[in-house]
Amino acid sequence: MSVLRPLSKLPDINAASVLLVENEEDFQQKLAGVMVKEKSVMVKVRLAKSLPLPAKNEPNRPRIDLVVFLINLMSELSLQSAEASLKHLGQGYFLGKVCFMVTNARHAALPAERMVAVRKLASGLRCPLLYAEDQTPDGVTNAAERLLVILRVAAGCVPMTTALFLSNLTSCIVPTEEEEQQNLDFDA
Amino acid sequence: MDPKTSVARSPFSSVVQRRSKSYRQSYRSYVGTMSHLAYTPGFTKRRLTTCRLAPKRCSTAEMNPEQRALLVREWQLSYVTPLYRFQHGHLKTYSRQLAAFLVSERQRGVAAEVGLESTLRVTFTLVAGMAQTEEEADTVFIKIHSKTPLALPDDPQKVLWSGWLTCVGGDPDYLRTLPEDFVCLPLFCSGGTEGLTALVKAWFQRTFDCCFGLLEINSVNLQWLAALWTDCHARTSIKQLKLVWSLPAEPPMEVIYAMHAQDASELWRSVRQPGLREEEDDGSVGLEEVACFFKGLKSHFYRHFRVELPAGRLTQVSTALGSAKHGGRIKISNSSYMITTLTLLTECALLKMPI
Repeated sequence: MSVLRPLSKLPDINAASVLLVENEEDFQQKLAGVMVKEKSVMVKVRLAKSLPLPAKNEPNRPRIDLVVFLINLMSELSLQSAEASLKHLGQGYFLGKVCFMVTNARHAALPAERMVAVRKLASGLRCPLLYAEDQTPDGVTNAAERLLVILRVAAGCVPMTTALFLSNLTSCIVPTEEEEQQNLDFDA
Repeated sequence: MDPKTSVARSPFSSVVQRRSKSYRQSYRSYVGTMSHLAYTPGFTKRRLTTCRLAPKRCSTAEMNPEQRALLVREWQLSYVTPLYRFQHGHLKTYSRQLAAFLVSERQRGVAAEVGLESTLRVTFTLVAGMAQTEEEADTVFIKIHSKTPLALPDDPQKVLWSGWLTCVGGDPDYLRTLPEDFVCLPLFCSGGTEGLTALVKAWFQRTFDCCFGLLEINSVNLQWLAALWTDCHARTSIKQLKLVWSLPAEPPMEVIYAMHAQDASELWRSVRQPGLREEEDDGSVGLEEVACFFKGLKSHFYRHFRVELPAGRLTQVSTALGSAKHGGRIKISNSSYMITTLTLLTECALLKMPI
């Protein structure tokens, strides 16, 4: 079965593994380079272009604690590939073990519809949506730090916190028209 | 847990809430380019146009010569913020002021024209018949002529620069909320040298306290234009639909995808057909239909050439009705569907304006 499942393998002690999925295979390399330098937890980074993952690596693959979809907003293909990959992810991952990270959100030529589509996607799946800047080393470091925070929780390395608990606080929300109307009326 | 990094980047749980009922603020903060940064907590309605009216044909006989002048060349687009105290009755005064300003700038050595020893004459004319509702201001057309000192009065004057300010089909709610003294003409099209364009803009900024900015047509709007023009094929032939994509390969690859108007039109009709019966056709085009049309085009291309067009950017669309480029250049070749094109562009300008 080519669907990835979160609890099908045993975890390692004080280790966390993350899967970075990106169609362009560019930002994920930089992020991986920064994330493996983390000292408090042993971080294993797996890179993929899209899901499903090849079956031949199945025995060697560790338990994936967090799946991050890196989407470049300037390319429509990036978003389409991420959406197609979502189908191959087990349901257990959507309880706080999936995260979306988008780059180029500030680009002047970005069509607004694409941003709306990404936000709707993230809010429909109740996943956090992070914005990253991938051109400078500082931007990559910041993005890696934020992912590490979520990763430590998802891997169970933080006491008293679970991935589901964290995702309730951080998931992306797009309010519906009625809610917005209510808020506007209240303002009067 | 590391306290300094904030994990919560979700915009709608932010504590600072902009409780502003001002319509204008809410109009712009929904997904204009500026508001990518300001993740306004969702107190604003999303007003992305998901549905546009199908193009209506305006007959050529009704066009006056001024409107015909708009078809002649390719224009560079910019957006303009509302003009303060611009009166349509004072156009002659404005022409004299602008001419004086240009002459004085040139004498200061600022103008870029070298060796031009002629006098300048500026004309502001009203182009009637473009405004769609009563709240909209009439279009103003500006021309800069040059005349050599030795020429006879009958000689035709060379047009150095021309441009026009217009508002076609602007959102009536927005126009109603503008204060009394402001006139909204958000779309500015200029054709001519860069130096003269900059001088004209500087004069406008000085006189009417407005701001200019480059208006780029992003890929979704180019897709809208392509779909609307293809829709017109049933009534006026568009000869061919040409799309230019730029792909981020090494070296950057440009793909020119040209197809016969008949094929494009058949694909468009098949996209519209499923949900539409003749009686139900209210003449509106939805965003999903445009997306579906383009998905069909891209998948056809992939099947033949194995090149993924969505990885790149749509940079130019041209048909017999006109051509539009990503950098903000537009040419309208056919008078029949001018109003529709201009409505779309006015809306882009209104969205991009920082007010």
